[in-house]
Amino acid sequence: MVVENIVDGGILYGLIAVGAGLATGLAGIGAGVGEQGIGAAVVGVVAEEPGFLGKGLFLMLLPETLIIFGLAVSLILMFAWTPFA
Amino acid sequence: MSRVVVAGSNKVIEPVIEKLHELNLLHVVNYSGADESFEMGKPVGKSSEYAEQLIKLRSIERYLDITDKMPDKQFSEDQVVSQMGGILGSVGDDVIATAVRISEIDNDVKIKQDQAKTLKPLAALPVDLELLYGYNSLAAFVGTVSSPVEADVSKVSYVNEVFSAGSGGATAVAVFVPVEKAGDVSAVLAEHGFSEISVPRGPTGSIAGAISNLESDAKRLEGEKAPLQKKLKDIRAQHEDLILAIDEHISIQSQKAESPLRFASTENAFVIDGWLPTDQFDLVKKELESAAGGRVQVEMLESSEAEKFVEGGEDIPTKMDNPKVVRPFELITRLFAIPEYKEFDPTPLIFIFFPLMFGLILGDVGYGIIIFVVMLMLRRKFRTPGWQSLINIVMISSIWAIIFGILFGEFFGPLGLWAYIFSGAHHVGLLGTVADPHSVGIDFGPEFYGPLGRIGPTIAGFAGPVFPMFRLETASVLVLIGISLFIGVLHTGVGSILGVKNELAHGEKKHAYFERLPVLLFQVFFVVGLLGMIMGGLTHPLVILSAVVLVVSIVMMLKGPEGVMGVTHVPFFVSNLISYLRLLAIGLASVGVAFAANQLAFYVAMPMLSGGGHDGFTTIAIVVGIVVLVAVHFINLLLGILSPFMHPLRLHYVEMFTKFYSAHGGGVEYSPFGRVRRFLRD
Repeated sequence: MVVENIVDGGILYGLIAVGAGLATGLAGIGAGVGEQGIGAAVVGVVAEEPGFLGKGLFLMLLPETLIIFGLAVSLILMFAWTPFA
Repeated sequence: MSRVVVAGSNKVIEPVIEKLHELNLLHVVNYSGADESFEMGKPVGKSSEYAEQLIKLRSIERYLDITDKMPDKQFSEDQVVSQMGGILGSVGDDVIATAVRISEIDNDVKIKQDQAKTLKPLAALPVDLELLYGYNSLAAFVGTVSSPVEADVSKVSYVNEVFSAGSGGATAVAVFVPVEKAGDVSAVLAEHGFSEISVPRGPTGSIAGAISNLESDAKRLEGEKAPLQKKLKDIRAQHEDLILAIDEHISIQSQKAESPLRFASTENAFVIDGWLPTDQFDLVKKELESAAGGRVQVEMLESSEAEKFVEGGEDIPTKMDNPKVVRPFELITRLFAIPEYKEFDPTPLIFIFFPLMFGLILGDVGYGIIIFVVMLMLRRKFRTPGWQSLINIVMISSIWAIIFGILFGEFFGPLGLWAYIFSGAHHVGLLGTVADPHSVGIDFGPEFYGPLGRIGPTIAGFAGPVFPMFRLETASVLVLIGISLFIGVLHTGVGSILGVKNELAHGEKKHAYFERLPVLLFQVFFVVGLLGMIMGGLTHPLVILSAVVLVVSIVMMLKGPEGVMGVTHVPFFVSNLISYLRLLAIGLASVGVAFAANQLAFYVAMPMLSGGGHDGFTTIAIVVGIVVLVAVHFINLLLGILSPFMHPLRLHYVEMFTKFYSAHGGGVEYSPFGRVRRFLRD
């Protein structure tokens, strides 16, 4: 098996960049889908019961962590992951 | 807080209520009606009269569009009482009559405009309006058709009268036929695309004349409306504060009059239960006794007796007591839940961490200054307590943003880029050309950092000194990942310690040591282990140490009150920590957009509009470039207030508060019987 080094302009480097992009992007879509339903429900509840705003925010921001996971993977790919090196 | 009972004769209930209200200290516990020998009290004084007055006053306020605000003027009780009659009487009647007249006018105008609109297509018909309806033996069809109908109508009904006139796309027609032919004619008309117009019954005369009459009437009525609106506005300007003061006065009176509904009472006596800050007891006792001439008994219950009420499901009210700078942050605590009486009030911690996180995310001197100045201006405009708290929070946070902006070397985007731009350099590479895989990302070379230079210690393994730290650069990203995780451990760690404390305060030792404590150990040593791995791989002593502690903490969770279920929370604790990477991530997004704005303006828009050259931009290019610059920075600034606010909020609510908060349900805020007077002078 040919071991390829990650160099600027190399195909492997490009693939890593694509992977990093997908990791953050897809995680973002996932978080968005999750928040969509919660957000709608929270707006509904807050309209009836303004005191629920804090707890609503809490619930609404829960799926936000998903995108941070994606971002963590991207950062590892871009900055810290060095296969074959 | 102490549980207090006030009992006395019904003869002195009014002075007692008066005094309690004035002291504004006793948190009244509503009588539940559970005891057979006591009933709920009855309102004293003129409570129904106050209610009526309030309803009238509130409707006046609504018509005048008066909402609660901070007072510009204050009134004495006497002033309010003497002017109340006028406001509720003649002025109020005037306001209501005027408002009713305005809505009548609105209604009329709408009817007239609708009629005019309906008649428009018929405008050219040479028939008077009153001739279009009201026949017994004739059927009238009035409306528009798409093609001439006269010939076809004649075929089905020899006797007919058809008027038509073209106007615009469709032709207006009025067809009169004997009633018995109506069905056939209607079918014929339908073939010609007839659409009926129902003729409004009011107006008479020629149609065109009626339309212009309707329109001029509508205009006249609109004109009549303007002075009425101005009148309401004048009344509002003149009496706004007085009306709010009267509102306050009547509200207080009605609150006092209805308060016995919350007390227990018998035929001759009343009993008030409540909570009182312990150090205020002597004062309240003395004041009440002198007000009631000694015919009242004020007693403090032993704490063991008070404990029984708490066990019975009663909440001890919580009074949050923080220094003045910290107080705005109570808003954030309150938004989540009021801490229970025995729990720790996290507000001072929010005061420390929240602005720090805000600053770390935003980290830009320019944005920080703009936010600070804008908030300073808004502070005068929005003077209600809620807005004041919010504005103060953002102001304190923006100071941190400025501090971090200096550390990061950012002023509307990275400082280095400005130096580059003004030095007239032509191109900045976005992705550095470094063969070293550790340094992918953005690298601008050593000369990029502008007049501030780069000073500070070298961090082992990573490139170069760190001040000012350009956040988009590889080494900085890595350092910031570390800083974010460190803040995370600190933040959740403090949360866990508070969790242990709260559980101990509730006397739940098992929960404290086997549910809260292992979380602390797990999170701290998870990060310590990571640090060890970075420093020396899997065999580093720190890694081995933390592996041991992690196993111990998991075993502790197994032994804990939740058993195996407790261990299933472990992924949640890991994700808690990773969640703190948002401190870095959102900051990168913010500086990225600022960077892009500057690039877009100086390296894309300006050269493009000057014919591709980098020297000697044309005036129009500079103008467009600056517009682009301002627009993108403005959007980034708006986002730069919103997300650095929301995300630390989330870190507090989700990551920190869950470690100690509301394991026993939220508390009740101390709200003493009484009212802070704002429009009334004491």
